Amino acid sequence: MTKIEVVLINSAGLHARPAAQFVQKAAGFSSKVTIYFGGKTADAKSILAIMGLGLGQGSKIELTADGPDEGECLVALKALVDGNFGES
Amino acid sequence: MVGIVVVSHSAKIAEGICELAAQMAAPGQKLIAAGGMNDGDTGTDAFKIQAAIEAANTGDGVLVMVDLGSAVLSAELAVDMLDDEIKGRVTIADAPILEGTVAATVDASIGQSLVSVVAAAEGARELRKR
Repeated sequence: MTKIEVVLINSAGLHARPAAQFVQKAAGFSSKVTIYFGGKTADAKSILAIMGLGLGQGSKIELTADGPDEGECLVALKALVDGNFGES
Repeated sequence: MVGIVVVSHSAKIAEGICELAAQMAAPGQKLIAAGGMNDGDTGTDAFKIQAAIEAANTGDGVLVMVDLGSAVLSAELAVDMLDDEIKGRVTIADAPILEGTVAATVDASIGQSLVSVVAAAEGARELRKR
């Protein structure tokens, strides 16, 4: 299992379009990916679970990945978040 | 991609759900509203639903999301009226219409099968809001 921390810097946080992009990216890996925030956890491959966390701009989340491609998976997810989900 | 049809008694509800879900859809994702009656009244229209299913079908199957009561009957009737080749690839989900449509849209947009998309929609039944 690999764990990282990321901060959501995009203006929308993890809602709607960015949340969907996050799920789509996570779904491309076989590892189980979990988001931890404010004492709650969510399966990163479930859009409804992620939106239920209520992650706004500035939220610091912990991400874990567990599986054969866990390293790559977290690198890809971090790149998505750090790249502002393509928002300008 | 599996196409999605949203059936509501209200055209505005069906369109609004599609508007929201489209925010989370991949380009090319079919997301078609089939709400209200042709004369603008509230209700569900099997012919309108049938046309929506045909428009949503790109060959990978179609998920139909429904709201209350007779929406289910109209959707079933619409499926019955389809050509046999499409009929076997259409599923009416037993799921909350908004949450189910959002979950299904994200799943369909990553190219999942109809079985998976239906499971995503129906998984929304388990969602707790708080």
